[in-house]
Amino acid sequence: MSAAIEVEGLVKNFGSTRALDGLGLRVEAGQVHGFLGPNGSGKSTTIRILLGLIRASGGSARLFGEDPWKNAVSLHRRLAYVPGDVNLWPNLTGGETIDMLGSLRGGLDPKRRKDLVERFELDLTKKASTYSKGNRQKVALVAALATDAELFIFDEPTSGLDPLKEEVFHECVREITGEGHTVLLSSHILGQVQDLATMFTIIRAGKTVETGTLEELRQIAASAGRDPESLSLEDLFLGIYSS
Amino acid sequence: MADFAGTVDAIRFALKRDRLILPICVAGLIGWMAIYVVSYNDLYGTQAELNALYKSVAGNPALVAMSGPTGGLRSLGGALSWDSTPTLSIIGGVFAMFSVIRHTRAEEEDGRTELLLTSGSGRLAPLAAAVTITSFALALASIGYVVALSIGGFEFGPSILLSLSLLGFGLVITGTTAIVAQVTGKARTARGLVGIVIGVAWLLRAIGDTGDGTLSWFSPLGWAQQTRPFWENRWWALLPPLAATGITFGLAFWQLARRDIGSGLIQPRPGPPAASPSLLHPLGFSLRLQRGTIIGWSSMLFLYGFAIGVMGNNIEDILKSSTAFTEAFASASGDLVDSYFASILTVIAIMAAGFTISSALRPHSEESRNRVAMLLAAPLGKVRWVAGHVLIAYVASAMVMALTGLGLGLGLGIATGDFGETGTLLGSGFAQVPAMWLTGSIAVLLFGISSRLSSLAWAILAAFVVIWTVASFGELPQWIVDLSPFSHVPAVPAVSLEVKPLLVMTLLAAAFTAAGLALWCRRDLL
Ligand SMILES: Nc1ncnc2c1ncn2[C@@H]1O[C@H](COP(=O)(O)OP(=O)(O)OP(=O)(O)O)[C@@H](O)[C@H]1O
Ligand SMILES: [Mg+2]
Repeated sequence: MSAAIEVEGLVKNFGSTRALDGLGLRVEAGQVHGFLGPNGSGKSTTIRILLGLIRASGGSARLFGEDPWKNAVSLHRRLAYVPGDVNLWPNLTGGETIDMLGSLRGGLDPKRRKDLVERFELDLTKKASTYSKGNRQKVALVAALATDAELFIFDEPTSGLDPLKEEVFHECVREITGEGHTVLLSSHILGQVQDLATMFTIIRAGKTVETGTLEELRQIAASAGRDPESLSLEDLFLGIYSS
Repeated sequence: MADFAGTVDAIRFALKRDRLILPICVAGLIGWMAIYVVSYNDLYGTQAELNALYKSVAGNPALVAMSGPTGGLRSLGGALSWDSTPTLSIIGGVFAMFSVIRHTRAEEEDGRTELLLTSGSGRLAPLAAAVTITSFALALASIGYVVALSIGGFEFGPSILLSLSLLGFGLVITGTTAIVAQVTGKARTARGLVGIVIGVAWLLRAIGDTGDGTLSWFSPLGWAQQTRPFWENRWWALLPPLAATGITFGLAFWQLARRDIGSGLIQPRPGPPAASPSLLHPLGFSLRLQRGTIIGWSSMLFLYGFAIGVMGNNIEDILKSSTAFTEAFASASGDLVDSYFASILTVIAIMAAGFTISSALRPHSEESRNRVAMLLAAPLGKVRWVAGHVLIAYVASAMVMALTGLGLGLGLGIATGDFGETGTLLGSGFAQVPAMWLTGSIAVLLFGISSRLSSLAWAILAAFVVIWTVASFGELPQWIVDLSPFSHVPAVPAVSLEVKPLLVMTLLAAAFTAAGLALWCRRDLL
């Protein structure tokens, strides 16, 4: 099976700062892939390159085997994206925003939209300027999850969501993966990532540090002299960064 | 007093932020007054010319409606005050509006005020800093007015009175803006509301001045004219603006001490839970974002054109009273009124080019507010999205100018009973459009190069304004005059339409736009 995302030796410079320094990432189709790293390590930058919003300075990034910068529009038909800080148009209501964003990708399934709105308990008639942070996030989540994309790219999608809505998000991700869709999930909530993802890539300072299943990561930790069985993703993450 | 803690730091920070724009605005205001000084000395050098001006203007209701009571026109200073007070008041007021909102509502809307207030600054400090630097700039401009007038040979005392009258209006608008900026949650809306306040102030005194004068006393713009410098020198008429400044400033701080930070006093109402079909198309969505601004500019310029048209019938007498004017306009063509309309249309087009720029730069404002990634992560296409906004900007610019021409024609028709010129004037409005497109396309080009460069478009427009102003009063090397696209618009309806420059400008605009889009395609999103 070909990979949905293939990134090799990716480099990105912003002026004199090097945000990505030879990063690698491979996400197979149908996988939920956890993408982890401390603040400023380059997760969002990688995602923005994959979305064709910024251009790589070096290395290669492939989405479904194609160049995301050159073929942005055709690739975007196959993906949905939720950023971590959603900024909306203050005069539009949540409902209008969801429909507008959905129309860009050819319309939403009304049944699915209604179902998601109910589960996330979103008031669609409020103007975006009056939404709380979590509610803005929900608008973007409903707009993305109601589409029929092959690949979902989530960059800290639940920042600001309450625990109940986060649980709803978990259910939704399980549903879309059950239907065979691919998910790239970047998040600082390690419990969430451990819960949802089957593969993990951990990066630091623009470089990939570890990649593998939870088991494989545990083996690596074990070789460093730690007891593998009891380790959570959080322990592994902290272990990698304190070493 | 704790509420004012940190005001000094806030002032220092605001001055640092405005270190470029503030001196430019102050110098612009003073320069404008200097142009009045020079041109009045030039145009009405002899008492005979002044008498002729007085005879043609005195009591003419259309002109009284435009600029106020005409009693002072027998002296040079009185004539200058009559002419300059509405214009300089309004420009100073618009400056005050932008300045206050920039440092209050705009900051609050972007969430920076919250940060400031939670790091030791008193809740009144941002507003205190905003009104302080705005008042300070207005005061500096007024000192400059006095200097310019004195150098120009105008009497010292009345010059001070005139400058204080202009300062008074600026301060009242400063206070009013400080209040309005708290009523609504959005900077854009706040600017629109203050614009309406200024418009209503103008209208009240226009009605008052043409009637028994009572209504003029309810208008801050009316107050600015009640001091009657170089004529009756009514110093006591400075009291109403003084009182209004005190009251508005007091109210603004009182309100701020009580209100929630981050929201306006008017809460936005709920809206539809689903989008209407027009929103479901990228162009429809872009149009929705720009709708309010387009409607605002269209109605404002239509009314402005209409007002000018109504008084156009009488303008010939005034123009004839000054030999210098007659020479200036006669050199262009035979018909004085037509030349006058042509130059008015240029002025309006340069103003409206500000709309073209802001509308064409809508993608820039979306980008700097971080609202673009979700749009462009959809299969929308970078070029298609920007091109949509630019298309709206160009079409709306043409519409705005057509409406201005139409307003002129209808106004003139109502005044004369002859609507025969309406078509010509509408077409003359159109003739300005390629120059506006060209100005807008420069903005698109800059946006394509980088987001940060986009604002440079405003400096370029300012340069066009300066070129036009200086060129119409004095001597400027031809190559500098030629730099402004507005110098190349044929002066229709005074001369016959020459298509070539319009065609060249349109093609240039198309080329710049295409280049801007191509560069945008190649650059990173902010
Ligand atoms: N437009 C930009 N200009 C300059 N530097 C940038 C830009 N965007 C990102 N960077 C820098 O690139 C590095 C990586 O940033 P990035 O946003 O990808 O980190 P991240 O892993 O998403 O962090 P976080 O967990 O905080 O979201 C940081 O050092 C950041 O300062
Ligand atoms: Mg990030």
